[in-house]
Amino acid sequence: MAQVRNGIGEMLGVLFDRYQAPLFSFYCKLTGDRTLSEDLVQEVFFRILKYRHTYETGTRFRPWMYQIARNARTDHFRKYRPETSLEPEMSPSITHPDLAQQNQEAALLHRALLQLPEEKREVLVLSRFQELKYEEIAQLMGCEVNTVKVRVHRALQELRKTFQGLERGSAAQKHSEGTGFTRPGSLQ
Amino acid sequence: MTMTTCEQIAKLMPDYLKEALHPDQVGLVEAHIQNCAECREEAVLWKQLGSLPQEQPSPALRSRFTAMLESYQEGRWEKSSLASERQRLPLLSSFGRWFRMPAMAGVAWACVFLLVGFLIGKSVSKPVDSPDQAGQIAAMRSELKNTQTLMVLAMLELQSPNERLRGVTLSERGDQLDPQVLGALLHTVRYDASVDVRLAALDALSKYGARPEVRKGLIDSMQDQQSPMVQIALIDLLVDLHDRAAVQQLKKFRQDPSVNPAVKKRAEWGIQKLS
Repeated sequence: MAQVRNGIGEMLGVLFDRYQAPLFSFYCKLTGDRTLSEDLVQEVFFRILKYRHTYETGTRFRPWMYQIARNARTDHFRKYRPETSLEPEMSPSITHPDLAQQNQEAALLHRALLQLPEEKREVLVLSRFQELKYEEIAQLMGCEVNTVKVRVHRALQELRKTFQGLERGSAAQKHSEGTGFTRPGSLQ
Repeated sequence: MTMTTCEQIAKLMPDYLKEALHPDQVGLVEAHIQNCAECREEAVLWKQLGSLPQEQPSPALRSRFTAMLESYQEGRWEKSSLASERQRLPLLSSFGRWFRMPAMAGVAWACVFLLVGFLIGKSVSKPVDSPDQAGQIAAMRSELKNTQTLMVLAMLELQSPNERLRGVTLSERGDQLDPQVLGALLHTVRYDASVDVRLAALDALSKYGARPEVRKGLIDSMQDQQSPMVQIALIDLLVDLHDRAAVQQLKKFRQDPSVNPAVKKRAEWGIQKLS
């Protein structure tokens, strides 16, 4: 009996090893919060364990998993509503050690992504980072494929504007820092 | 030629970005973004997004998962044994009353000794699990099978050939395969991009050659095979299974000028063996 039990554990372990990172990245890009993202990944695997009988064989696993992932997130925010007003500057993800060292452009792009309205951010994250087809995203969101495509396009447009705004802001900041630096004696 | 407008391009752009656009239309989009800065920036932005790093969870997440898995299984375990415990209790307490009645006590004790003796005899002669435990084992076995099916199917759709290979290997555990897994393995033999994965799936399926649907799937998959190695492995397996229905496909191999000479030779040998 223990062997059968270990078998189930081992198999779910294989799934976990393969999917924990993409799922974690999905939540990080969506919420900007690493701790919360880890909690949600844990919740998703708990639900996979609990509801694995509802998986319809013959369908792709990934969309099924993201359906669970989206529900887990919705349920979480229903319980803890105040946290939804996420201020990107305040969120821990901005202090990413890996991003901080990366070039500034990537950091700005990440910030711009976090500033997008939630539904635009989600459609971009799902289509760009999670290996899902537009058809599968449409199924997840319960809408037409064309609607998904329009949303992707609009989200990109908005991201471009936000990103450009941030770039201008940081360039101006650099410029003022630069001028401050050239006359260090002026304050004395 | 009229210039395509940004609005027209906006409809094509999402598929273009996913590299899912029809080749005829790719040129249209590319010509447009040469001249239109806004649309070009959209495509550039998509590329830049792809270079954002994938956040990695801390190693603690794995240990949390293991702990959760264990406690979940323990929890289920205790819950099911508790339920059967509770059902048994009223029976025991009524039995207990007999012992307190002087007239009945002797009979009750006799019953107990008889029962104990019977149980000892039974356990010495044939150590079997109680029906309860056997039921639990059966339930867990079916759970294992469900999980195996879920996992094999999930692994087979991964991008890395090594992981798909692992999926095929995991499908070979256990004695009976779910029809869905058989279907997925047949699909793998036919369409997987990696020769190694196709060969492994073929190997896993060889055990199920007695099933007509497997043999039919294998014969069907012959027409899509490009790799001589897989073609030869398929011929060998079908000859091994004595499936005459394969002869027609083998003749096609023999006639097709694009087929590797070694495969033609093997097909010839197969035709002789089967007819």
